[in-house]
Amino acid sequence: MVFALLLVAGQLGQLDAPAEAPKQRVTYVAEAQTVAAAKRTVLELRFHVDSGFHVNSHTPKSDLQIPTALALGAGAGVKIATAEYPAGKEFSFSFDPNEKLDVYSDDFVVKVPVVATAGPHELKGELKYQACDHAACYPPRTLPVDVVFTAK
Amino acid sequence: MAIDLIATGSPVEGEVYVGRKLILIAVMVAGISLLVWAGVHNARERRLEMQQAAIPKATLSSDTAGSADASSPEQMTPKLQGKAAPAFTLVDLDGKKVSLADYKGKPVFVNFWATWCEPCKLEMPWLEDFSKKYKPQGLVVLGISTDDGGKDLVAKTAKKLGVSYPILLKNDKIEDAYGLEYMPQSFYVDKTGKVLIATAGISDGQGGKDAIEANIQKLLAAGGQ
Repeated sequence: MVFALLLVAGQLGQLDAPAEAPKQRVTYVAEAQTVAAAKRTVLELRFHVDSGFHVNSHTPKSDLQIPTALALGAGAGVKIATAEYPAGKEFSFSFDPNEKLDVYSDDFVVKVPVVATAGPHELKGELKYQACDHAACYPPRTLPVDVVFTAK
Repeated sequence: MAIDLIATGSPVEGEVYVGRKLILIAVMVAGISLLVWAGVHNARERRLEMQQAAIPKATLSSDTAGSADASSPEQMTPKLQGKAAPAFTLVDLDGKKVSLADYKGKPVFVNFWATWCEPCKLEMPWLEDFSKKYKPQGLVVLGISTDDGGKDLVAKTAKKLGVSYPILLKNDKIEDAYGLEYMPQSFYVDKTGKVLIATAGISDGQGGKDAIEANIQKLLAAGGQ
């Protein structure tokens, strides 16, 4: 009976343990920004793709490929316009040099035009992407993004 | 039966017994409490780790090209290799149920792919060739799509690639059952239902096709005719 109790007690911590989160291949490089208040200005959101990986650009060459896309929620005192994405770079897998892809690798910046009232602001959202390395592709992922900035 | 404590100064037998019992109970309660605390603490730590992992972090990226990644296909050990292939019942593009058990006693090549996976789409025409070439020797090729969208896109893509072997649609259990982390992943299941070979990713150039064919030949050779 003591042994049974010990077993149960030991498992209690496991009951609500969440499943391990899938590994992200893109990181959001969070930087607090200061912008002009009450006029159209641009937030720059910097992302880093893990070395050895690439993600489809916002405009991949095939409609089967999953584009990189940012979605930001509304914030009080902030009007958000459509995000502006950088141009991708041409890439081909070594095993299929004829298939040209349009990708981001290393660092890329997504620009978000905003008009904000004076004061501190925070916008929450996510970046959706799908990454590959030189031999395999990983399921689509969403990366939480938290944009903190001040309008003066 | 008790010896008078006051008269002799010696411990009363009954009280000693009760005392020992109380100590034992106290130790047990303390032990159980410690285990419960450890479990709760562990759960809390895991939740914190999860939250930390979800929070975007600034990174001082100084990675150099070619750095090894511990979870890349080359680094991962095929977890199912040598073990029984997890059973499944999935639906094909015509809505018909297909189970791995339907092919008991036959060598089965199970290939996981997705419409968004370029390496997958490169190798599927090879698999079609092998499916036809080795069908007389009993080989069964099954393609399992891991797409989240509807079957129409999967069917359209498979047709465009010239695939005629069965294409099955995933359910919500199979990715965990087979430990899928990237595409393509293939499992060579022998006649006894054991995963003889498990592979992930695609090799460069013609080596990729040759490697798959070599594995198929091993699969057919395993366990006799």
